[in-house]
This record gives sequence, C-alpha cells and structure tokens, in this order.
Amino acid sequence: MKDSVAQPRKHRSVARRKLFNNSFSVICLLVSSLAIVVLATLLIAIFSTGGNWLSFEMLSGSHRENNPEGSGIGQAILGSLVICSICGLVALPIGVGTAIFLEEFKPKGRLLRIFHGLVQLNINNLAGVPSIVYGILGLTAFVYMFGAFSPIRVNDQPDYEIGATYFYQTKTLGGQYVRFPAVPLVQPVIKIKQGQIASKINGDKFKLNVVSASTEKSKYANQVNKTVLLGTEAKLSNRNGNQVYEANTIGGEPFVFPAEATYSQFAKITDPITVSNSNGDTFSLNVLSKSEPIPTDPTILAQSVFADSPDPNKRSSASIFRENSLFHLHLPFSKSVLSAALTLALVILPIVIIASQEAIRGVPQTLREAAFGMGATRWQVVRSAVLPSATPGIMTGAILAMSRAIGEAAPLLAVMGGVLGTTNHLSSLMDKTPVLPVTIFKWAGDENQGFEHLAAAAIIVLLAFLLLMNSLAIFIRYRYEKKLS
Amino acid sequence: MSNTSAGQGELLGDAVSPRGKLRPRSSAASKRWQTVVVTGLVFCALVSVFTTIGIILMLVVESWGFFSDDKIEIWKFLTGTKWTVGQTQGELSYGIWPLLSGTLRITGIAMMLALPMGLVSAIYLSEYASKRTRSLLKPTLEILAGIPTVVLGFFAVKFITPYMLEPLGDFKTFNATSAGIAVGILCIPLVASLAEDALQAVPNRLREGAYGLGANRLEVTLKVVVPAALSGIISAFLLALARAIGETMVVALAAGSTPTLTLDPRMPSQTMTGFIVETFKSESVVPGTLSYFSIYAVAAVLFLSTFGITLVGQIIRMKYREVYD
Repeated sequence: MKDSVAQPRKHRSVARRKLFNNSFSVICLLVSSLAIVVLATLLIAIFSTGGNWLSFEMLSGSHRENNPEGSGIGQAILGSLVICSICGLVALPIGVGTAIFLEEFKPKGRLLRIFHGLVQLNINNLAGVPSIVYGILGLTAFVYMFGAFSPIRVNDQPDYEIGATYFYQTKTLGGQYVRFPAVPLVQPVIKIKQGQIASKINGDKFKLNVVSASTEKSKYANQVNKTVLLGTEAKLSNRNGNQVYEANTIGGEPFVFPAEATYSQFAKITDPITVSNSNGDTFSLNVLSKSEPIPTDPTILAQSVFADSPDPNKRSSASIFRENSLFHLHLPFSKSVLSAALTLALVILPIVIIASQEAIRGVPQTLREAAFGMGATRWQVVRSAVLPSATPGIMTGAILAMSRAIGEAAPLLAVMGGVLGTTNHLSSLMDKTPVLPVTIFKWAGDENQGFEHLAAAAIIVLLAFLLLMNSLAIFIRYRYEKKLS
Repeated sequence: MSNTSAGQGELLGDAVSPRGKLRPRSSAASKRWQTVVVTGLVFCALVSVFTTIGIILMLVVESWGFFSDDKIEIWKFLTGTKWTVGQTQGELSYGIWPLLSGTLRITGIAMMLALPMGLVSAIYLSEYASKRTRSLLKPTLEILAGIPTVVLGFFAVKFITPYMLEPLGDFKTFNATSAGIAVGILCIPLVASLAEDALQAVPNRLREGAYGLGANRLEVTLKVVVPAALSGIISAFLLALARAIGETMVVALAAGSTPTLTLDPRMPSQTMTGFIVETFKSESVVPGTLSYFSIYAVAAVLFLSTFGITLVGQIIRMKYREVYD
C-alpha cells in the first residue's frame, strides 16, 4: 500500500488527481453536514409537533386514559429524577472505586494480575451489552430475586418486610373512614402463594407451583403432586405439636408447611374497639347489632358500624391497608423504584468506570511522584493528590452517564412494566412510578392521535433535561480543567 | 506508564520507612487503613464481575426453563421459520429465524447508512476539516449521540415513515426501513467518533512522509492513513454492529410487532429486542410461564451475538493494532 504512493501503478495526470482530491473533500463535507441536517430535522419535527402542547398543566398533571388534553408528565418527571438520583448514588461510588482499583492499584501477584486484566476486559464487554439485557437481569435479580422468595402479588404481603404498618379500614354508617391497627395472627385458613416451600408427609421438601385453572395446567401435567390451583386454601392443623398448614395438590397428595402469623385480608368487627378517623381523632366504635335501630344523630352515626352480619347490605367488615414509611423495604424488591434504580446503575456502571479511568489517567505523573516523595502511602497519594485533580473529569463523565440513564427506556420497561400513572404519590422506594422515557414510548404507541403531540412535548422536556446536564458537564470541564495545567 | 509508577512507589515507600519508625503508630495505622480501602475497592470491582456472572447464569438457568419444557425442542428453536410465542390463538411455533432475520434486516439497513457515513465523517473530521467546521460538526455528532433512542424511535414512526418513505412506495405503517434508518442515525456518531480516534492515532510522520513523496491529501488519506488505522476502523464497525443488534426502543416503536421472514424492507419486522419489549409491555409476563421463559431464550441469542461481536472487535483492536512507537 505504501509502495503504491511512491510508485503509482497507473500514471495519472496532476489535473485528474487534483480533481479527485477536491471532489472527495466536497463529498466529505456534504456527508458530514448531513448529521447537522438530520439533527435539525429531528428538532424541528419534534418542536412543531409538541411545542404548543407544553403548558403548566401538562408539566404537572398525570396520565389520563383517552384524554391527551388533560394528561401530563408531573409524576413521570418526578419518577425520572428520583430514579436517576438513586442510580447515580449507587453507580458513582462503585464506578469510581473500580476505576481507582484498575488504575492505581495494579497488583504484583500473578493471580491478582489475571483478576485485574479480567476485570478490565469484562468492563469493556459490559459496555457493549444491550440495555434490554440489563433490564432482564434487573427483573431476575432485583424484582424476583432469582425466585428465592415468593413473588409479591397485589394486596399480598411479602415474606420479609420492614417499614410498613398495617391497619384495617372500614366505612362507618356516616360514611366516614376509620381505621384500627392490625395484629398478625395465625390464620385458620390461608391462600397458598406461588413458590411456597412445602414438605410432603414423609418430609421431602419441594416448591409449589400455583397455576390458574384455565392456562398452563397442562404444563404441569407431570408434576401434579407439586402443583395446586390458584386460590387453593390451606387449613391450620397440628402435627407432632407444631402448627402447620395442610392442603392437597391437584394430584391429591397432602402436603404441609409451617404456620406463620399473617394478617388476614378482612377483619370482623364484633366488639366496640378504639379507632381513629382521617383527622386523627380517636374514639370507641359504636357497634350495632342487627336488631338495633339505626341512630339518627349524624355524630353517632359517623361513629357506628353494623356488627358483622350475614346480610351483605348490612355487613361492615374492615379490610387490610398498608401505610409505607419512607424507608419501607421488602424482599424481593418487586417492581419498584429501587429495582429500577439499581438496574439503571448496572447499565451506567461501565460508562462511569471508563470515564473515571480516563480522568485518573489524565492526572500528571509528577503529582503522584511528589506525594510519594513526601512519604505518602499509595492510598494517601490517591486520596490527596490523584482524586482532587481527577474530580472534574470524573464529574463530567458521571453527568454524561446520568444523561444516558435519564433517557433509557428499555431496562425500566422490563423492570417496572409500562406504568403510565399511579394513584398514590411516590412515598417509598417500594412504589412504582411512571418515568419520562417509558411515558414517551407508551404515548407514541397510543391509538389516540392526541398522545402523539403529548409525547413530542414530553420529548422536549426530556431534551431540556439532557441539555441542562450536558451544559453542566461542559461548565465543569471548562471551569476546573484550566486550573490543573 | 503506571507500571513504572508502581515500581517507584515501592522504592520511595522503602526510602521513607525510617521516618515511619519515628512515628510507628501513625504509619502502621495508615498502612492498615490502606488495606481496608483496597479491600473496599476490590469489592467495587467485583460488582462488575458479578454483573457478568449474573447475566450469564440467569440466561443459562432460565433458558433451560424454556428448553426443558415438554413442548419445546432446541432444534426447532434454532431452525424454525415461524414464531408465535405470546400470541393467544393458533398453534405454538417457536423458531427464532423470523426474529433473527428481523434483527439482521434492520441491522443491515442501519449499517448501510452508518458505516459509510460514519467513516466519511471521521475522515473529514480527522484529515480535512478546518478548526471552525470541526467546532460545529463535533458537537453536532455528540448531541446526536446523546439523543435517547426512544426519541429516535418516535422520529422514525411519526416522521420518517409518513413523510419520507410512504411517498416512495407501498410502505407499511411499521416497517424495517424506517427503523433501520433511525438505528443508522444513532450509529453514525458512534462510528464517526471511534473511527476518528483511530485515524488520529496514526502518527503525523506517516502523513508527512507521503506528502514528501508528492501525494495529495486524498492519496495520503486513502492510501496511508486509512490502511494504517484499519484495525481501529474495523473494531469501530463491529461495535456499531453490536449496538445496532441490541438497539431496542427504535425497533419497538417503528418496526412493528409482527415477526416476519421476508427480504422486503417495506414489511413490518419484529426483532429479538422488539419481541422482548412487546412481552414486557403487555404486562402479562408471569414467572414460570412459557412466554416468560421465551424472553430468556431470545435474550440468550441476543447476548451471545452482541457479546461475541464486541469480543471480536476488542481482539482485532488489540492484536492488529499497528504500533509506531
């Protein structure tokens, strides 16, 4: 190849060579400027579709089915910001730590060197893994936790949980909601959960499959003695002095599992109990028997319920409710903000690591040598010399990684599902929340054409966030990088 | 560079040890503290290792759940030409080829767009552009690279299809071409920036030598610089290929949800990633069911192809890199 320059195979006239040269540079310029054209078209198209739909109501509202004019992205913005912050808090320390390990603590031992090289290779490969695969990993590792716990269904309480208070709530005859604390009891009858570990009468342990009657029953045809139908109830019984629940599989074989105290879905109200209403007033509930006349005084009426009666019109039983504190946690994490944030942290971790490595590599060697010369240990060198001067670079990389995270839709779709709106406000890490990219995705695919404009408006908001983050990164780079050299 | 620093560090560490003897406690304490810190750093590094292990383990275990089902034969999965998993009616077919061919079609279209355009942009940025055009082009490419893929998907389905493709012919609402173009757009900055890095790494001595022999800029570029940077350029191409195969939101929005086995770029074509997203979107995934396990089987094929391509790209870059120092 290099020879052909020195001795051209074909002799070409200078004029022709010049023509080729000039026309190639024109082609280059045209092709390169196509990027500008594409970007301009994209921005114009999106602004013309969604620009008019931006309004305060749109920025603060939440999704309404079939009503694009009344829908908004308030919840989605909050959800995106919360998830991205947690994701950054998790990914940044781990990423910077890995980068420091890779750049500043190159080990001398052979085995450790292999580990070191493996980690480096692994990170480059992880950066190329599609984000949807991370989403599936998040679903398996965080949402279901590899099936180590029984999955959480709606209105079901998880096996392991902190930070939640349970109470029963009922409506009085006056139409007022009152509540009283729930106490876990060993229920005489419970519904069997998917994945319950049970043991046969001879003591063999196995995992129960719960199948709905219509579907997938045939799949378990060869496991009839490990399978029950959805909604099957187990009864409390006593075996060798232990309280256990007992039921039969669809194969007809009995099995047992240990009885634990749980909340029942409903509580009967038979005796006057102390309750509190939504204002926080506590009073004793007035329980009317069937035969008693209904009181006419509204104050008394508001504090009265019927005793549990067989007549459905007069029945007032209290049903269970859960109030989550901010630090509410349960295992598995289920489809929640925490699962989503951890998954996103895995997605951006390789980006943070690679950016931090570059920033650390950019620190002049003389700084390290000066610190070593003053007798600092390796970690002291890192902490007092390398990290302070690498911080602007690390911060820039971290912000760019966060801007990748805020636009990611696929992993969140996998981990939280296509949530568009929630009735409750985001109150704990175990809640679900809509996020901007998933909202855009769902709206873009909505049959109602109005949502197309709304999706474009949401894209403008998302792009504004990206612009903000990128400006911040450029500002940091500009402001602090000058001081070093 | 860092290896020499490690050596020097040890040397200096020995040299200052007498000072340590004067205040043995603080020196010992700082050494102990360093051990604690290094242990912490190793745990940080282990997170990424466990991520990889987790991905592989999960794909193997859960795909096993798919293939161990009585109705599934692995041979039919790898050779079948019909995919109906997740559809409620009709006979169950689970051949991967419609999904795989959808991925290949869209990736092919994207690469036809992104590879030449990305390479030409890289050549222009590295060899031709003046400082002023560079300061305009480079940020444009960076912004384009930072646009979320869901936005490009929206652009593909709401603008590329109705305004660019439908006037040209009988394109379906969801088709492979518009998704391919959008994926190509998002691959251009990737190819451009990686290839430009490779071109810039070619030392100026080579260019000067060629100019000295009377070559003009075109000849220097195409006959000296590009061949010298070829390993870097090919690895850039492979990374873009892996990115296109794994691209999800664009194809989920623009390519439709019908798995097809055709060469017609006007037809809808569900890809592997498209199928996974479609399954998640419907929120009917219940662990233990066949459509749940099928996600993992498809994801395993997806992971193997992208991981393999990324690995080959890295090997090419490391092995065939021309070193001039």
